[in-house]
Amino acid sequence: MRQFLPSRSDEPIYWLMFGAGGMVAAIALPSLLVLLIVAGLTAPDLTSGMLNFSQISGLLGNWFLSLILFGIVFLLCFYSLHRIHHSSHDFGIHSKITFFMCYGLAAALAFGALALQILIYCKLF
Amino acid sequence: MSEVKSYRKPYNPPVHAATWWTQNSFYKMYMLRELTAVTALFFVLEIVLGLFLFAMCKLEVQPATAESAAPYLWWLQNFLGNPIILVLNVITLFAQLFHAVTWFNLMPKAVRVFMNKNSTERLPEYVVKGSLYLATIGATVVILVFAFATI
Repeated sequence: MRQFLPSRSDEPIYWLMFGAGGMVAAIALPSLLVLLIVAGLTAPDLTSGMLNFSQISGLLGNWFLSLILFGIVFLLCFYSLHRIHHSSHDFGIHSKITFFMCYGLAAALAFGALALQILIYCKLF
Repeated sequence: MSEVKSYRKPYNPPVHAATWWTQNSFYKMYMLRELTAVTALFFVLEIVLGLFLFAMCKLEVQPATAESAAPYLWWLQNFLGNPIILVLNVITLFAQLFHAVTWFNLMPKAVRVFMNKNSTERLPEYVVKGSLYLATIGATVVILVFAFATI
């Protein structure tokens, strides 16, 4: 049986994304949430107000800014679901299922977001 | 059959109730800190929903009309403007500020920066924490100025 066990842990990969995502959350999330709250309070439309349609067209039509947005979303996905996966252990769930659920959801959300961004970028040009 | 005394001492892991962390305030603070990750996940879900609804718009219509951009405008006005979502966003904002403070407090313990390679003298904690707080303030200023300048 022992020969089938992995000889090295895969935890460092997830821990690296957790550490990077925690730093991104601490540095960038407060201001991004301020933007969402301002947008919610001012009811923007096509060309005026925070996060209006033409502003977001400009953001998602720029590959560099779109890549930064993907980086933030990717790291936050793996950061939050890594932490939730390890918190489930604290709540008495010691199953391997949470591993697949959490990292599967993180990968689906992150690469779903990337697919949507590529789709939008291609449709805008 | 002989009676042989067993010296075997198997390890029986203690079974905790799922509410073990309600015992004292230190555990509760730990749990609160861990659960700020749920609010980060909520933010990600909001952004992915916004991206999905933006992709559903008729982007080939130039200039955009209220009809062609209807899904994204629903996200902007009805979703983000919904009082429940607004309250959840404010809770998320405070949870993330709490996360930032606790994250920066543990950074000097997690990452040990030495003054030079010939001594064990470490960079003072206030330098590590202060630079991280400065990074947060700088990123906040850059993002807010960029967002308000490009409206």
